[in-house]
Amino acid sequence: MSLRLDRFALLGRLALSDLWHDRKVSLCVAASLVAVIAPLLLLFGLKHGVVSQLQDELLRDPRNLEIKLLSSGSYDTAWLTQLQQRPETGFAIGQTRSLNTQADLLGANRRFVENAEIIPTQAGDPLLDTPLSALRGNQVILSARAAERLAIQAGDSLQLRVTRRLNGVNERGEQQLQVLAVLDPARFGRPAAFVAAELLLGLERFRDGYQVPALGAHSGNSAEGLAPGYARARLYARDIDSVAPLERWLNAQHIETASRLAEIDAVKAINHVLGVIFGVIAGASLVGCIASLIGAFLANIDRKRRSLALLRLLGFQRAAVAGYLVLQALFLSGAGYLGGLACYGVGSLLFNRLLGSSQATGAFVCDITFWHGLIALLLALLVAALVALIGALRAISIEPAESLREL
Amino acid sequence: MLDIQGLRVARGTGAQAHRVCLPALQLGHGEIRAITGESGCGKSTLLEAIGLLLAPQQLTHYRLGRERLDIRQLLQNDDQPALAAVRSRQLGFVLQSGGLLPFLKVRDNIGLPRRLLGLPSRSAHVEKALDVLRLQPLLDKYPQALSIGERQRVACVRAIAHEPQLLLADEPTAALDPLNARRLFELLLSLVRELGLTALVVSHDWALIDEFGLARLAAVSREGETGFVPAA
Repeated sequence: MSLRLDRFALLGRLALSDLWHDRKVSLCVAASLVAVIAPLLLLFGLKHGVVSQLQDELLRDPRNLEIKLLSSGSYDTAWLTQLQQRPETGFAIGQTRSLNTQADLLGANRRFVENAEIIPTQAGDPLLDTPLSALRGNQVILSARAAERLAIQAGDSLQLRVTRRLNGVNERGEQQLQVLAVLDPARFGRPAAFVAAELLLGLERFRDGYQVPALGAHSGNSAEGLAPGYARARLYARDIDSVAPLERWLNAQHIETASRLAEIDAVKAINHVLGVIFGVIAGASLVGCIASLIGAFLANIDRKRRSLALLRLLGFQRAAVAGYLVLQALFLSGAGYLGGLACYGVGSLLFNRLLGSSQATGAFVCDITFWHGLIALLLALLVAALVALIGALRAISIEPAESLREL
Repeated sequence: MLDIQGLRVARGTGAQAHRVCLPALQLGHGEIRAITGESGCGKSTLLEAIGLLLAPQQLTHYRLGRERLDIRQLLQNDDQPALAAVRSRQLGFVLQSGGLLPFLKVRDNIGLPRRLLGLPSRSAHVEKALDVLRLQPLLDKYPQALSIGERQRVACVRAIAHEPQLLLADEPTAALDPLNARRLFELLLSLVRELGLTALVVSHDWALIDEFGLARLAAVSREGETGFVPAA
């Protein structure tokens, strides 16, 4: 057993010595592999870099997941629950009629925001993306714009004010709210206050003429026993791929919707197009690479016929001679891969330096992952080993007696 | 020792076939036999058959070495692994133009047969042979840096490195000057004696063969067949 292992190690050393002694030819073969592997890695790095960057951008912006319900309808809690429980849904919350989603906000020092948007939220809101979005009755999260106008920070309190005309009398409903947080400006551009769904529902009932004790409105009909109803919903799909099916489900109920499906499809199309381009180029260069490797290996075997016959004469078996050639192919492709990886490293650095900082192209990335690199290595070794096997099949017919005769 | 009877072997097929026969050959330990004949008469073919590189058409008897290994049985069973093992362990070849691996230094070329068999790398016989043939200064050179004569000397040392039972040499002195040819012959003879080898040497160098008083197997051609018989 150990003799067999020794022999294998000896075979490996002989194969390496042979390659090193013949280094000019070895360099040619390895260089031809570098010439295939490096551009393919770069091309793949670009494809992967560009596509994953676009996808990242899509994912980073929750608005890409948003599905807007364009028309107002009349939905009950059952429908909303059904919507929330669909597997494609990431986040859904009922919204009131659009007129009632506005209110005035009053800060200290007479600062105020007229007709700020009042938007319902609850835990898991992707637009807010904060655990604080699980709001209770009198808590509020302000958009940066609203907080700026009110000169208010998290921890302060503000006054929410709505008015109505009931039975010919102008009435004012007011509620003190606790500011829990202020959003990052990028998250929401307009002045807005995010509140719990019940609070928004209270605003609507106030405008509809009901009693809403929280707003200090004690006139009008009692809202007791009134089932909550929604005119629309704030809806976010679970992920990029769920937008289309969720939209289809809504459209099937004759609910008009708008989403960024076009952008999502554009990224998918870019991914597909780049994938096809990469596949075709990779296939073409692979064919060329295999042809050149077969040529190189077969020519090498003819050149080294005498040495191979000598190895057989000295006691190496046919399989060992085949293994000798496959080992050499593996060494060469390993070297070619390392060279290709180095070229890729330089190339991607250049790409990222020269193009990455430009304003026009945005953040430009050429990138492969560790696993991509590993798969490329295994592919290179596999191709080389298979090609070498073709040569080895020819080499095992070499008889040890050939070493005795003059060639 | 070597004991062969009724060996008949052919190279090529049909009308171009070259047939060679060896009626009988018996050699003991330390015995050396020269094989002589014109070029192309089949000396190398005979050597290949005895060296288990070419399967014979007929073979009555073939035993080799102290263990009197039955080679005929192995050939009949076409037991290639066993034949390859016999070849690498019991036989040593000196090839016409050296037959060294170009990518190994002289030292590694000589050491290869021993390493292949898992033998210790140092050997007194090898050291002695290196001294006698004055190869010590060349150990770290590659074959391409050697003259043909030097390569031939290295090939001789490699052939006996693993202390085989039978040494087969195919015109080992063809490319050597008379002085080195004589030195090589002397070495071969002394090695054969000391190691108790049996040796077959194909040679054109009649003068050298006569000088060392070697017994000969001479080629006799008749009816498209070359027979090798003992000559006076």
